Amino acid sequence: MSSLQLLTEASHATLLPHAGLLPHAALAHTADSHGAASPADYMAARQQMAFTLGFHIVLASIGIGLPAMTLIAEWRSLRTADPVRRAVYAELARRWMKAAGVLFAVGAVSGTVLSFEMGTLWPRFMEQYGQVFGAAFALEGIAFFIEAIFMGVYLYGWDRLSPRAHFLTGIPIVVAGLLSASFVLTVNSWMNQPRGFRLVNGKVTDVDPLAAMFNPATPVQALHLILASLMVCGFLAASVYAVALLRDRRAGRVDRYHRIGFAIPFTLAAVCAPLQVLVGDIAVRFVYSHQPAKFAAMEGVDHTQAGAPLKFAFLQFPDVLSLLLKFDPHATIRGMDTVPVENRPPAEVVKTSYEIMIAIGTALLALAAWWGFTWWRKRRGAADLRWQGWFLRVATFAGAGAVIAMEAGWTTTEVGRQPWIVYGVMRTEEAINPNPGLRYGLYAVLAVYTVLAVATISVLRRMRRRPVAVPADQPDLVGSAR
Amino acid sequence: MTHADIAFGLILAGLSAYLLFGGADFGAGLWHLASRRRRGDQEVIEHAMGPVWEANHVWLIFVLVMTWTAFPPVFADVMARHWVPLSLAVLGIVARGSTFVFAKAAPDQPWHAPIFGVSSILTPYCLGAVATTVATGKSSWLSLAGVYGGVLTTALCAYLAAVYLIWDARRIGDPDILLHFRGYALLSGVAVGLFALPGAAALGVRSPLILVSAAAGLVSLVLVVRRRYLAVRATGALAVVSVLWGAASMADLDLDGSVAQNAVLDVVFAALGVGALIIVPSMTWLYVLFQRGPAAKT
Repeated sequence: MSSLQLLTEASHATLLPHAGLLPHAALAHTADSHGAASPADYMAARQQMAFTLGFHIVLASIGIGLPAMTLIAEWRSLRTADPVRRAVYAELARRWMKAAGVLFAVGAVSGTVLSFEMGTLWPRFMEQYGQVFGAAFALEGIAFFIEAIFMGVYLYGWDRLSPRAHFLTGIPIVVAGLLSASFVLTVNSWMNQPRGFRLVNGKVTDVDPLAAMFNPATPVQALHLILASLMVCGFLAASVYAVALLRDRRAGRVDRYHRIGFAIPFTLAAVCAPLQVLVGDIAVRFVYSHQPAKFAAMEGVDHTQAGAPLKFAFLQFPDVLSLLLKFDPHATIRGMDTVPVENRPPAEVVKTSYEIMIAIGTALLALAAWWGFTWWRKRRGAADLRWQGWFLRVATFAGAGAVIAMEAGWTTTEVGRQPWIVYGVMRTEEAINPNPGLRYGLYAVLAVYTVLAVATISVLRRMRRRPVAVPADQPDLVGSAR
Repeated sequence: MTHADIAFGLILAGLSAYLLFGGADFGAGLWHLASRRRRGDQEVIEHAMGPVWEANHVWLIFVLVMTWTAFPPVFADVMARHWVPLSLAVLGIVARGSTFVFAKAAPDQPWHAPIFGVSSILTPYCLGAVATTVATGKSSWLSLAGVYGGVLTTALCAYLAAVYLIWDARRIGDPDILLHFRGYALLSGVAVGLFALPGAAALGVRSPLILVSAAAGLVSLVLVVRRRYLAVRATGALAVVSVLWGAASMADLDLDGSVAQNAVLDVVFAALGVGALIIVPSMTWLYVLFQRGPAAKT
């Protein structure tokens, strides 16, 4: 298949006539009217965007997951008759929401940085397409504001509202958080599948902001990220309690507070893990049919071939890729050779990050399956195998693993889209701020964010050290086996 | 009224709100730094500033999103040209927003407060320098106009904060602290007025808004002297915000040539309308809840 055919297929002929021819024309226009950034500044801008987004994505995930965990804990505390369990659930909910409040504030400023960077790093992208996806950000802003307001209501309402009303005020936090993440994701999806506008002589016309927002990549990308966020937050929180449980174990102690603190986030993440595999499978199929270059890079398909092997690191499984993708071991799979050289992403980076995501995702799935299996066994009356040392030791790393997997997955989709900032329409190098010195911005950001990360973790550790407030007349909280 | 007019009106309204509320927060940070040796003053400032996090940054986000959606080339041009001061401003926002919440979550750390104070000066300085450079059509934030605008904006924030804090000090009920902020308000009011008016003349501002600002500033001084601390909040705010409006009327931006298509703005306006229907009542509820003491527990 020729490059022109591929590009036209990728960018919907009716909306983007002659899309395959446009980038070069646009590039010439850019080079004429603006100076070009130096290669060092260009790479620095990309690294700064990647770094600040990679930082924000973790906070955003926690911003979605922690309120959800808090609500589960609070709901359990409302539903439980046992006073000790009630106190434990209530205390967990309070602590998690306090941490969520701090991380929300840090996420708010790291999100502000991103909206500045859209303009300071990629002004030509914003100039050309700001109006196409702008409405999505307006909606995101509204959802974010609602989330912030109810975060305030929830935190301030703890001793001012009835328990039931207080629980209900938490629901808008979760809903608005999910909506806000989804709206942002529509923009990233749009960069992968641009829709809702026409280019006439290099100018954007006939803008349809809703068509841009609801582009074909939106549902699968948004779902994939939301599940990833819940897994990241769940496994991260569980990791903290896994450390505490291991300490209890060494001291020969059983602490119900730590066990429940582990069980809620770990279960939330474990439920998401198998769903994520299904959504990930849909995502790969979507990428194959819409972004062949990204797919070829991810799966390492250099040449179009029948009976394509599944490659993983140094392993090869003949025919398996064809079988998985087309349900036919002899089916032909398009390779990188169908993509013109100048339109290929850096395949090694894409493949490696994709493999890291798959490997860690599989390990987390296994861990989730073991958790489910032991829970099911215990429910049937067998011994409780959930708190074994090896399991807790592995679970200690589940949080870091989930973060790495998410960053790797995000690297896969972002680097896999290169050299385009808007797939098939605008190249990343066309979008860059032509003013000199962008690399110093990167250095400043690295310095400030390093301090920010250290300070955030140090504040969270201080918050954790506060004594656990459970009723003093409940001595069985620490010490009883079950 | 065209779509461009409405969009520009909304952006100006957002900027005004950011200057009046966010600006007062910046100024409060400045006074917090200045009153290092007066713990009582600092406590009033901490009490007065928002709960939980820096909610007033919502206005800034609103302005950014509205500008890049409604006038993408203007946004791109300003952000690309002034990327250095804007990057400094946003790093200041990061430092401020995080130390603000860290200081509440872990009050025993001594380095939160100074970082908070310094970034409270850096951010309005940079934003004001960029705004003045854009309004006067100069090329650099390091031009005399840019430096002047940066200092003026920081001073305006300090003045606003002092005016607002008198009322907060009264609510908390310490007469000494009230007198401190009253003194700050008088001093900074006189200083800002003497700094702003010649500057406006030098920059060639020919707007009747100068007179509005000067009159409101004078009335505010009288009101502070006569201890009308609630009324002065309104006149002080008018004195400050009319400076912004005067600058906006000076700016030579090609809005009609850069405005987004109506289809885009229709969706944005509708979204803002629906959003306001949810946001305004819930914001009111939060405010009521914040004012109500924990005693109302049921």
